[in-house]
Amino acid sequence: MNLFNGAISTLENSLDFASAKNKVISSNVSNIDTPNYKAKDIVFKDVLDNASSQSLEANRTNSKHLPFNQDSESSHEIITKNNTRYNHNGNNVDVDKEMAELAKNQIYYQALTDRINGKFGSLQTVIRGGS
Amino acid sequence: MSIFHAMNNSASALTAQRLRMDVVSSNVANAETTRATVNENGEYEPYRRKMVEMAPQDKSFRSFLHKAQGTESASGVEVTNIVEDEDPFKMEYNPNHPDANDDGYVELPNVDPLKEMVDLMSTTRSYEANVTSLNASKGMLMKALEIGK
Repeated sequence: MNLFNGAISTLENSLDFASAKNKVISSNVSNIDTPNYKAKDIVFKDVLDNASSQSLEANRTNSKHLPFNQDSESSHEIITKNNTRYNHNGNNVDVDKEMAELAKNQIYYQALTDRINGKFGSLQTVIRGGS
Repeated sequence: MSIFHAMNNSASALTAQRLRMDVVSSNVANAETTRATVNENGEYEPYRRKMVEMAPQDKSFRSFLHKAQGTESASGVEVTNIVEDEDPFKMEYNPNHPDANDDGYVELPNVDPLKEMVDLMSTTRSYEANVTSLNASKGMLMKALEIGK
């Protein structure tokens, strides 16, 4: 029997994604003045895997072995954006876009936390028998 | 993977931008300094404008492993070097100046106030953007602490 109905693990993955995205944005913003720095972005990997089903799995006999496909355990992947316009110094960080993404990501994260708290709350209500 | 990774990224940028600000203020302060260094002939040389070189901060094993595997990881920024501007010095005709040469010309630093001001604005803006990003990371971590409360 699945007590949490998969909702909590979905929310967990989404929180994971949001926090990784925050990391990428902070990296882009901190390299705003670095010559030749290329902005990074984060994407869900399922989409990529479907598009290019070339992931090669190796047999791992020990948990310390590194997987062939580096990020095969996480649902997201960091990519570098090489195809956009460049600044005069080779840097392609768009500060307006990054700040908008930052605000969006923050609200998304807060919504997810509220949602996961709501989930726990209703579970608690059930455990207490509605009292 | 540390939970404070994002905050460390922003903090490294704040440090770098503050150093840039220090360099700019040093340039502006020395805009008229004619006796900054002594060259090999024992003569005074004017101040040379200084600039900051920046590079992404990815010296960790993890980042090299990621690079070898063709994946990317997020990184902060670091100042790799402070370089001097090799532009020629400004020449000004002022025969009464103690550092004037035989023709009456004085070598003045190659500091351009316009360039410095532009640099200063860019530094301020970048610093502000990084403070915002730091606050966002902080807000998210504080929110994460509320999970399950």
